[in-house]
Amino acid sequence: MSKVLTVISREYLERVRSKSFLIGTILGPALMSMFIVIPMLTAGHGAKDQRTIAVIDQAGDVRGPLAAILVEDGHKNLTLRPVEVGPGGLDAAVAGVKREILAGNVHSCLVVPPDFTRTGKVAFYNKSVSSLVVRDDMLKPALDRVMRERRFAGAAVPDSLFKYLSARTEWSSVAVTADGESKQDDAIPFAMAFVLIMIIYMMVLMYGNHTLTAVIEEKSSRMVEILLSSVSPGNLMLGKVLGIGLAGLTQFGIWALAFFLISQHGLTIGGTTLDVSFLTPTILVSFVMFFLLGFFLYATLYAGVGSMCNTIQDSQQFHMPLTMGLVIPMMMLSAVLREPNSTMATVLSLVPLFSPVLMFMRVCVETPPLWQILLSWGLMIVSIWLSARAAGKLFRVGILMYGQSPTWATIGRALRS
Amino acid sequence: MSAPSLALPPVGAPLLSLRHVCKSYGEKRAVNDVSLEIPRGSIYGFLGPNGAGKTTTIRTIMNIILPDSGEVLLAGKPLDMALRDRIGYLPEERGLYRKMKCLDQLVYLARLKGVPRAVARTRAREWIARMGLSEYADRKVDALSKGMQQKIQFAATFICEPDLVILDEVFSGLDPLNIELLRGMIVEQRDRGTTILFSTHMLAEAERICDAICLIEGGEVILDGPLPRIRAEFPLHSVRVAWEGELSPPDDLPGVLHRELNEGSWRLTLAEGVEPLSLLPRLQAVGKLTLFSANRPSLNEIFLTAVLRRRQEVAA
Repeated sequence: MSKVLTVISREYLERVRSKSFLIGTILGPALMSMFIVIPMLTAGHGAKDQRTIAVIDQAGDVRGPLAAILVEDGHKNLTLRPVEVGPGGLDAAVAGVKREILAGNVHSCLVVPPDFTRTGKVAFYNKSVSSLVVRDDMLKPALDRVMRERRFAGAAVPDSLFKYLSARTEWSSVAVTADGESKQDDAIPFAMAFVLIMIIYMMVLMYGNHTLTAVIEEKSSRMVEILLSSVSPGNLMLGKVLGIGLAGLTQFGIWALAFFLISQHGLTIGGTTLDVSFLTPTILVSFVMFFLLGFFLYATLYAGVGSMCNTIQDSQQFHMPLTMGLVIPMMMLSAVLREPNSTMATVLSLVPLFSPVLMFMRVCVETPPLWQILLSWGLMIVSIWLSARAAGKLFRVGILMYGQSPTWATIGRALRS
Repeated sequence: MSAPSLALPPVGAPLLSLRHVCKSYGEKRAVNDVSLEIPRGSIYGFLGPNGAGKTTTIRTIMNIILPDSGEVLLAGKPLDMALRDRIGYLPEERGLYRKMKCLDQLVYLARLKGVPRAVARTRAREWIARMGLSEYADRKVDALSKGMQQKIQFAATFICEPDLVILDEVFSGLDPLNIELLRGMIVEQRDRGTTILFSTHMLAEAERICDAICLIEGGEVILDGPLPRIRAEFPLHSVRVAWEGELSPPDDLPGVLHRELNEGSWRLTLAEGVEPLSLLPRLQAVGKLTLFSANRPSLNEIFLTAVLRRRQEVAA
């Protein structure tokens, strides 16, 4: 046992003392925070490009109210430029504007016919796909309101009644948790959940890779024979995986501490204050568990692959399928997010390779039944055990495979032997 | 955990025994029924050409590869992981962690052999000093020349103060000065009671240092025992000759198995039963002789003869 501890302490110190650890510890949160800060800065503000929209207002008095409402809605970046219909008629005017759109002088063109109030019909000319955001999220709601106002005015509805009728609903969203209810703003927890998942994803991938490199290092530095004259292959592997895992946990611990200290002072970005009440004990415990189990699962798999390879290049072909185990659930996140308790989400999140991402996502958005969480942990532990045994076997066979690149067939043979 | 204490046999009695060890790779028999007894306190040469099965046998001893059959005993006990801590191993494929400091590296390797940390640190400093590398103690291995790395590796093998040391091609890649330094250290360790298994394909090197040898070829032991006894088994059967004017011996000399020119004189290896003096008339006929001597057989010659004998036996 003390030999395993010796290996652990070397692997741990070797990593924690390295420059890349220091850099990673500092840069990690910077990268992570981009996942929070960027959505927070851009959310609700839309595109900030200044855009000129040509308006051929045949109804005559639509452009003015439309411009006022756009300002009221916060779309100050849109400028409405009136285009008069000349002696050439509407077609000539439209043709002129089209040329300007193609030349890039105006962003798009809105044609409001004379009978707009009655029919509600308008024509919109545009070039790029980004115009759709302008059309659907900015112009349409505003123009809808102009039309409603004009129709109410035509029906002689009093102003007060109009305001009453066109009022919007106001929502206050409350999350029900075991320890009572707490107010929440949907946007932040989702961003937080996403950040936590990104942390799991990146840490498992990064430290899993460290294991792969570390095992290959033993072979490429020809250390392995000397080490095996003192330690059994299983203990060497165990020590490496635990040492690297501890280094990962240390890095995460530093981040967690820093985050805690900052959040004590209140973290405000772009006018929104981070609400850490989202980090309930359930989520924190799950996070640590999924991180650890995920790491050990992937680390043992990577270690098995590493022991068959002599160089990093050798490992590429095996590396890819393993990485897919982490990438696939990332791609399924949104599906699981929409229906976290569907059969598909339940089954997929129980697949040990996917659990660290998908089950944790479910814990974050809508805590699944406890048995499912425990089952996923159980399945992961069994998988880790199997994968560690397989890795030990591969290690023994692979250690002395100098000078030959492994294939899937040699791996298969090694596992069967 | 401290290293297990081992009841060592008296000096000269077998410390390491291999019994009928076999190992095949597919069809190829790398090690075929090898049985050896290595006496305590000796330098035991484990000799043979490249590919003879030396490294495979050593890896079997170190349990890096599992033998197909046979057993390995240390002081009469099956060699398990704990007993392996009593063995220092310098593999042919050697390496060090390139990014680790020399001192840390030695301490780490000693700790893996069960040496307590404080003791390991003291010994590591001592060994580094003996190797003349004190100024490199806190430098990374990367910063060392290949020869220096080899000396660190050598120190790592002895730092656990093992009862048995296995050195596989220990001098390869070293300059004569360093070979001399390490040779002295090996002899010194032997004199302190350490048993040394000295594996090499360079027979001349083994001849200088070994007390006993084992010749292995094609995975089989073909010769085994103390060097004086082996020499006695192989009587004088080589002559050294030289002529004025650097002449060469005739090609059709009867009873000559092998001839080589070495530092201006010819060494002729004779077949068994050929009397050296019987060659003299033919040699004198070539020109004026400046040297004619009958020599002790070199290990090289013993090896060649033994291999030939073996092949004849197999053919018969």
